[in-house]
Order: sequence, then structure tokens, then C-alpha cells
Amino acid sequence: MDEREILDHLPKVKAPDAIWTSIEAALNDHRSPARRPWLWAFASVAVLALLAVGYWSVRHRAGEWIETDSKSRTTLRIGEIGFVEIEPGTRVRVVTEQPGEHRLALAHGEIRATISAPPKLFFVDTASGTAIDLGCEYTLSDDELGLGLLHVTKGWVSFQWKGLESLVPAGASCRTHPKIGPGIPYFDDASQRLKDALENLGVEKSAEDPLEVILAEARVRDTLTLWHLLQRVPVGDRARVYDRIAFLTPVPDGVSREKALKLDPETLRLWKDELAWKW
Amino acid sequence: MMNFRIGIAAFALAAAWAHPPGFSFTIGNPVASQDFHFKTAAFVFRTESCADPAKAQISATAEGIVKGARQSVALKVMAASKPGVYAVTQSWPAEGDWVVSLRGTCGSASAGAIVPMGPKGLIRESLEFFARPATDAEIDASLKALGASK
Repeated sequence: MDEREILDHLPKVKAPDAIWTSIEAALNDHRSPARRPWLWAFASVAVLALLAVGYWSVRHRAGEWIETDSKSRTTLRIGEIGFVEIEPGTRVRVVTEQPGEHRLALAHGEIRATISAPPKLFFVDTASGTAIDLGCEYTLSDDELGLGLLHVTKGWVSFQWKGLESLVPAGASCRTHPKIGPGIPYFDDASQRLKDALENLGVEKSAEDPLEVILAEARVRDTLTLWHLLQRVPVGDRARVYDRIAFLTPVPDGVSREKALKLDPETLRLWKDELAWKW
Repeated sequence: MMNFRIGIAAFALAAAWAHPPGFSFTIGNPVASQDFHFKTAAFVFRTESCADPAKAQISATAEGIVKGARQSVALKVMAASKPGVYAVTQSWPAEGDWVVSLRGTCGSASAGAIVPMGPKGLIRESLEFFARPATDAEIDASLKALGASK
């Protein structure tokens, strides 16, 4: 892309008033420019900064790859609904850029998304599945092996892979694994023992039963983790998880033990909506 | 056996304090509203046991102490798309200690709550609920406790 093409792609950006004040002052100044070099230097730097902002906030086209090196970062505008900060050492592709669907593919690295829109307009594909924006702000990182971490700071993110879904609210995180999908979400202020046990879940050679540790360590707020766990543990362990949630917080009307243990979708949704008042 | 009975009684008392029967509030983090408009709210809340939530009268004020001076800020309570669910956004100064006093009526019933605010949002363990609006003394006591906890 030559300079002319770059200029053609630049959007119009309103200059800060301070720039015009500076330029007017310089024009009205009868003294030689050589005697006020700092003024011209300031104006040049300001104009270059504006050009840089304009260039990086330009809308990228579908199919385009964006790559940052170990020291650079950039910001990608997501239509009219938000922006994504692309951290150093990141490779990301614009898959779809349409008003009804904005989709990126994160090959590796880290992005920070700030989206203000109705749910399911912004998606990020990774090796472990797809992060679906439900109106949120979050950080998503993926290493070269596809191991990732989703951390949500505002709103909700749904992370999905082949029918498996993790719902991650603000203040919570979720590990993601290629060919396995999203892990079980946990609140960042959960005990370290609970987080470690989640890592060991499904690992045969654990010193202690990870499920036992999770159930023992869970606070009321950790019903986020338990609600997901109910749907992931073997059938024979579901009752242990159900009983722990029921012990921590009253089971709402409309949620029956029988239906919950059968993973009835409507029952689980109703329970999750009620539990969210504790999250 | 005696200890067990005392435990049950204490639990029932704590449950009643945490959530009085009848018209009352439930407080939650913004994610509870399931409404993306409120993702930046300070907190959300809903009314309980109000037959017609649309007719409930709800108001809120932020009560704070900034550099030793008592301040009060009237807050705008925003209704969510779900009936009976509301959000409060932070329009009080970042500096100082602040609690939000919620007041509501539903028919002849009234309710109140004090929501202490910390740097990471509402302080759930310090929530207080009443079957009437909180008094000035109760708000002052909550502010004092908030300041002392730092």
C-alpha cells in the first residue's frame, strides 16, 4: 500500500481545537519560523499523531490479517459498536465485518474487546471455540498451542465449542483448551484451592478428589462454578453438586431436583438467572 | 441438641435479617439484570413480593462523607426491560465513603436498603435491609462502619 492509498483510506478526524489555535498563532506570528522551531515541531508531531490515530482506527476489511510485533499494539474499530485493542505479539484476522455480524479470528496473542451493543453481534473465533459477546468488555488470550484464557470485566461472554457452553460474567475467568473447548468458569476472587482443583478435574492422578475440594471451597458466589460443574460431571456426581448449591443458596421456585439432575435446559436457565443475583 | 437448636434459631434470624418477608429488595451485580444497557451500572436491584411492580415507587440517594463533610446526591433509578428490575449508575464522587439508600413503596408496604459501595462495587456482606426507609441514624452508622473498615 503506497502513501496515496493510505491517504485514501484515512477517515476524516476532527482536529483538537488546540491545534488550530497553535497554527493560527504561528501564522499570525511575524517573526521568522526559524526563531520558533518548537512551534512547528509541535504542529508536525500533532498532525502525525492524528494521522496515526486515523490510520489505526480505519475499518479493516474481511479477510485481512492484523499482526503486531513484540512492541507494537493497535486498536481495531468494530463497526459502530465498539473497539478491540490488539496487544503486542498478536495475530488476528477480520473474518466478517457487517452490521449484523462482526467476527474476528484470534490465531495467537491477546485482545481486549469493549463492545456496547445488543448480544450476539461480535464474535471471536479461537482454536478452542468462539467467544460470543453478550454486551461486555473482556480480555481474550490464546497461545501458540491454542490454550487460552478469557477474563470478563463487564457484562457477559458466552464461550462455545461444539455444543459446550461456558457463560462468563464480569469478575470471572475461564480457561479454554483446543479440542476440549471452554473450561469451567470461576470468579477471580475464588480460593486458589478451588482454582487448582478445577485445573485437576478429570486428571486421574490427583492427590485429592478435585470435586470434593471444589464443593468444600465453594462460597455462595461460586455457584457460578457449581452451576457449570453440574452439567459437566459424570451423572453419578450430579447430586453432590446439586446438594452443595442448594445448601449455599435457596433453590428458587420452578427448579426441581429431579429436573436439575436431568439437566433440563429450562430449569437450568431459570436457576442460572436466579443464581446470577449472587454473582 | 441445645447447640443444634441455637444454630437453627441463629440461621432463621440471619435469614430473616438478610431478606425480610413481604415487599423488599434483592441487590445484585449488573450481570444479574441480564441487560447489556446496565453493564456499567454500580449495581442492580429488583423488588420482591410486589404484586404490580409497575406501580412500585422507587427512589435512591447516595449518602457519603468526603473529607469529613457529609454529602447527599439524588440518584436516577433506571428501569430494566424486566418488570421490577432497576439499575443505579454511579453519579456520586469517586472520593470518600459512600452508601446508597434505596426506598420503595408498593401499595401500603414500604421497604428500604442500604448498599455500601467499595472500590470494586457493592459490598455484599454489608448490605442492610429494612421494612421501611432507612433512618438517617442507620445511614450514618453504615457510613461510619464503611470508613472504619478501611
